[in-house]
Formats: sequence, C-alpha cells, structure tokens
Amino acid sequence: MAFYTLGLTFNLVILLTVIVLAVWIYGIYFNFKKWGLGSTGYHDQLRNSFWLFLATWIHEAFKDGIWVFLRTVVLDVLLLRRTLARSPVRWAMHMSMFYGFLMLAALSGLGLMIDIVEHFNLLGLEEQAAMAKDLLSLPFDIFGYLLLFGATIAISRRILLKFVRDNTSAYDAFLIGAVFLITVTGFYAEWMRGNSFLLGNAFSYPIYAPHFALIHTVLALGLFAFILPWSKYIHVIATPMTLLANRGGE
Amino acid sequence: MADQKDSKPLMTGYMMSTQLMEVDGCNRCQECMKWCPTFAVRQDRPGITPMYKNARWRELMAKSHSLRAKIFGAKPLSDDEMKVFTEDTYSCTTCGVCGTVCEAGIKTVELWEAMRPNLVKRGDGPVGKQPFFPKLIKGDRNPYMAKQEERLCWVPKDAKVQESGELVYFAGCTAAYRQQALGVATVRILNNLNVDFAMLGKDEWCCASALIRTGQREVMAEHAVHNIDALKDAGAKNVLFACAGCLRNAAIDWPMWYEGYIPYETMPLSVFLRDKIRKGEVEYKIPLNYRFTYHDPCHNGRHLMHLKGKDWAFEAPRECVQSIPGVKFQEMVRNRALQRCCGAGGGVKAGIPDLAMDCAKARVQDATDIQAEVVASTCPFCRLNLIDGRNAAKSPIKMVDIVEMMAASMGLDTTIPENPYTKFQSQDVLVCTPTECKLDTVERKEPGKDLVGEAH
Repeated sequence: MAFYTLGLTFNLVILLTVIVLAVWIYGIYFNFKKWGLGSTGYHDQLRNSFWLFLATWIHEAFKDGIWVFLRTVVLDVLLLRRTLARSPVRWAMHMSMFYGFLMLAALSGLGLMIDIVEHFNLLGLEEQAAMAKDLLSLPFDIFGYLLLFGATIAISRRILLKFVRDNTSAYDAFLIGAVFLITVTGFYAEWMRGNSFLLGNAFSYPIYAPHFALIHTVLALGLFAFILPWSKYIHVIATPMTLLANRGGE
Repeated sequence: MADQKDSKPLMTGYMMSTQLMEVDGCNRCQECMKWCPTFAVRQDRPGITPMYKNARWRELMAKSHSLRAKIFGAKPLSDDEMKVFTEDTYSCTTCGVCGTVCEAGIKTVELWEAMRPNLVKRGDGPVGKQPFFPKLIKGDRNPYMAKQEERLCWVPKDAKVQESGELVYFAGCTAAYRQQALGVATVRILNNLNVDFAMLGKDEWCCASALIRTGQREVMAEHAVHNIDALKDAGAKNVLFACAGCLRNAAIDWPMWYEGYIPYETMPLSVFLRDKIRKGEVEYKIPLNYRFTYHDPCHNGRHLMHLKGKDWAFEAPRECVQSIPGVKFQEMVRNRALQRCCGAGGGVKAGIPDLAMDCAKARVQDATDIQAEVVASTCPFCRLNLIDGRNAAKSPIKMVDIVEMMAASMGLDTTIPENPYTKFQSQDVLVCTPTECKLDTVERKEPGKDLVGEAH
C-alpha cells in the first residue's frame, strides 16, 4: 500500500520532518529566551539571557537535591499527584491525554526511524523493519484510544459542567477541539487502511487511506510545531518545568 | 495616540525567569477559581482570579515580546488595560490558596508579589491608600504614626522584660499600638511560666510586611536589615511572634534582604506555648465555656507550612485552644491549608476596603454556619478585619486571640496600663472573675487617627 501521496516522496517527508522539528526547537528557544527576561534570583539584577534562564531553572529544580528532583519527576510530573489530590476525574483525563499523546509521539518517532531503516535497507534489516512496523499498530491503537478517552472527558466536562463551560475561552476550546480532531482523524486513517485493532477492516478504504493519513499528519505536526510553542499551549512544556522548578509546589 | 507612559512595555525585572515560566505553566484547570476568596465575593470579576491574571500577563507581555512583536514591532500598552490589570492584581489578598490547589505547582504568592513591584515601577500601582505605606513606615518606623520610644508603653510596671537575651518576643506594631491586650497577655503568660525573655523596645521596627505585599520594596531593606541586626545584638537564639504577619516576614522575607548569618530561629508563640502545655507547665484556673472555632491566618498557615511544616502551621494553635478547659471546639468547613482568607492581607484592607469587608463577612458566615460563638486566631490583623466584617454583618460572634484566651483561663491580670494609645484600643476581650470569663467588646474611644490600616 502506498504510504505517500499527493506527490510526497520519502525524501520530501524527511525534509519536512526536519523543518518541523527545527521550527519546534526554535519555538522552545524563543520561549526560554522570553523567560530569560526575568532575573536569576529574588531582587537580583536582570540578565535577559536564554542560558541564564536555563541556569536559574536548573538551580531551582535541584535546590533540594537530586532525590527531591527525582521524586518530583515521578510523583508530580509522571503521576500528576497534585491533580489527583484535587479531582480524580480530571486526573484520569490528564493521565490519559498525557500518556496517550506522549506515547503516540514516541511511537511516531520510532515509526519514522523504522521507515528510514526500511527505505535505505540499513544493515540489511529491510524485512525486519517491515515486520517491526506491523508490530507497532497495536500500541498505536491502544494509546490512540487512551488519548481519545482523555479528549472525550475533556470535551464532555467543557460541555456538561456549567462552571467549567462558563470559564472556557476560545483558546481552551481550540486546543481541546484540535486534540480531539487529530485523534479522530488518526483513528479514521487507520480504519481506512483496514488494519484496526478493534474494528478490523469494517471501514477499509485503502485508496484514500494515505490522503487521510496525510491530513492527520499535517494537523498533528501543525499543532506540534506551529501553534504549541507560539501560544498559551506552551503550558505542555512549561507546566512540568514549573513543577520541577518548584519541587512539586510543596 | 499613545502617550509616553503607553509606550512603556510591561516591566519584568522583579520577576525571576522561572516565574515568567510559571505564568506560561498555568494550564487553565480553573481549580484556583473555586477557592479564591476574593472571587467568591466578586463573581462578576473573573479577572481577579489567578487563571485570568496569568492569561492577562501573558497577553500584555506578548505585546512586546511575542514573535509577532519581533517581526512587526511592539504594540503599546493602553492606560485602560493597565488600569484594569492593576486593579485585578491588587484585588488579591495573597492568601496563597490558589498555590495550594494549583495543579501546575505555581508558587502564586511569590508570583503576585513579584508582579506588583513591576506595576509600581511602571507607575500603575499601588492602589487606594497603599501609596502612603512607604512614607509612613520610613518616617515613623510603624504604620500608625506612633512614637517608637512608646513601643513598650503598654507593658505593666510589674512585668519582667529584659533588654537582651536568648529568647526575644517580637510584638509587632499592632500589638504595640492597637491591640495591646495581646501584648499584655503574652508578657503575662511568659512571666507566669518563668520564662526569661527580652523585647527590642524602640529598636523594634515595623516588619514592613505592608511594603512587600503591595510591591513597594524600597524601604524594605532598611527594616529587614535593622530588625535582624537588632535581634542579633540582643543575643537572640529564638524569636517568638504572636503576630502572623510579622512572623511570615521575619521567617520568609527578611532573610532574602539580609546577606549575613542569621543565628536565631523564628517561632510562632503558639508552638512555644504548646510545648509548655505538653510539659504540664501551664495551669488553667477558669474554664471558657464557649463554642470556639479557629481561623488559620494565611501568614501563619499556608505561607509557613512549606518552611516550618504543617504541625507548626496548623496543629499547634489548635492544641493550645483545645487545651483550655470548657472550650467546645469545632472546625469550620474550610480549615488548615484550604481555609478561607479573612480578606485583609496583601494590602487589600488599605487598598480596596470594601473587598476586604466582603471577604471578612464571608468568613464570619463560615463560623456562623457551624454555630460558633467565638473565632480564635493568631493574627491581630485577621482579628481586626473579622471584627469589621462581624460588625457589618451584625453577627454576635466574637474574635479573640488564643494568647488572650490562655491568659484569661490561667487567671492572669491582663489589665492594660493607661498609655497614649489606650484610646485607640478596639477589640473583643475576655473579662474574667475568679470563677468565670465573659466576652465583651471594647469600643474605640477616639475615632480617626489611623490614616491607613496596617497591611499584612
């Protein structure tokens, strides 16, 4: 089955991936530099530096030692302890979205690596790479459903709970809507390929599967590189960094 | 057309770079909105909540520092939007409940207190009567326009107070000039327990909490350095505080302005007294037959718990209250780390008094809901605002300090000697006979005089 369509070639996809990553990295650098407009300590003089932001963050994050840092990584960043303390429903939502998103991103990266191995027959592993790619479809499905579960709770909360709905801004609606849309298009692309974990080939339509996959990819990469670092959605990066800098806020 | 002030960008210098990151770390979960005490009484102004303040700061900063601003040039900030943002930022008591519940672990108190000096420097803040603080405090070394040499005018003649020693009682301006019953009760209890202690007298300057809370930092360094040096000169190894605001400043703020070694420990008086109660040294004589509840002052509770632990912050004062015979104790629904602020802190009482009043009324209602007769606390400033809220709500509930409760129950003479500030005393008191104590209210004999209420 053709994976690339509308004139896209493998090399072009690699080039686009590099561009997207470069834009994302520049976005992160841009934010770090903006945060560097602050001082390095209470009542200290202004530094205005990307590097001194990093130094300040490292100083704050490791202020109480490596064990406190590691404890914060596990309890607050990976297990979202503070969210659980406030609302188990919101915790389930965040955990689903966080791990769904993170694992899908990791699997996508892995898939790209395997694609490269397969395409260039690196180390003569072309066949094994093709087999490994097939093995990825199950975890893709599992984490996709996880993300969908979280996104569904998020949307339901915004629609059903009056207090939450009243204080939902266009930003909130856009982000949750975009995540939901990307997840659904990802699923639909898989279903069209006819190799869905739960649905088999019920929605199989292989001719247009690459087109739909392309739409999904463009949406996902667009959100990742062209919106996330340049908007309030930078909280995806800033929140875990804040938890670490404040040693979990405790 | 933008005028000169419009062209000034948002100042960021007083914020640490990690604090600028924290603003972006807000994930808009809305949890802070459920707990914010000022939003609870100003439901029509979501802009005063942490989530919206963070969003607004982001937007204002983006006008000068976004990618768009880099490419097309910065947009000027208008007077109107800065006025709204300043009012919103100062409509916060810096109680810190938002930080306690924040999923992102943002240290909100520090964040708001870092935003404010930037607004002051830009010429947008402070608000209301807050601009008087620096001049008053620098001029008189207290916010009540009182004389420094009269700081100990309330100390009974027969009380034993040393000029130096390892244990120092830092009374604070409110106990020295406006709630002297608290000072007298403290001195009497310490004497009764045969504890040798010193006071700084005229060398005790205002803790300057009002300046830090409102973003007016210029006089702060003088006060922090002076007080620490005075305590060191007195030979202090342990400093006791019966004022939550002074304690917070001494424990958290002063050290950030002081470069040398600080050889003493700061301790809430309730912790010191609890230790004495546990050792069996406190002897009560008169029961206090009332239904009590305890209001956790933000400065003695949430602000302190990260530094001194929850036991010192929340449990010690409760143990003191519950140790008194006759006391029927019940918690308010919101207590300890999730308590509702009285509304006076962060300069709100001086800056936006009607907001402080409405918060106080809400807290009085919390106590009314559990049928409490008396609200005990360890902060003179909470007490002052809660009394104002109680009066406005026409509630019969009384507000007393736990030190005064203990002194009354111990049968100690807490008569305040006549002094130049007697006429300014206005508070609820316990009036005792050898067998029982009754609650009463002392009305202020002379109105006016205070230009601004002190802020903690």
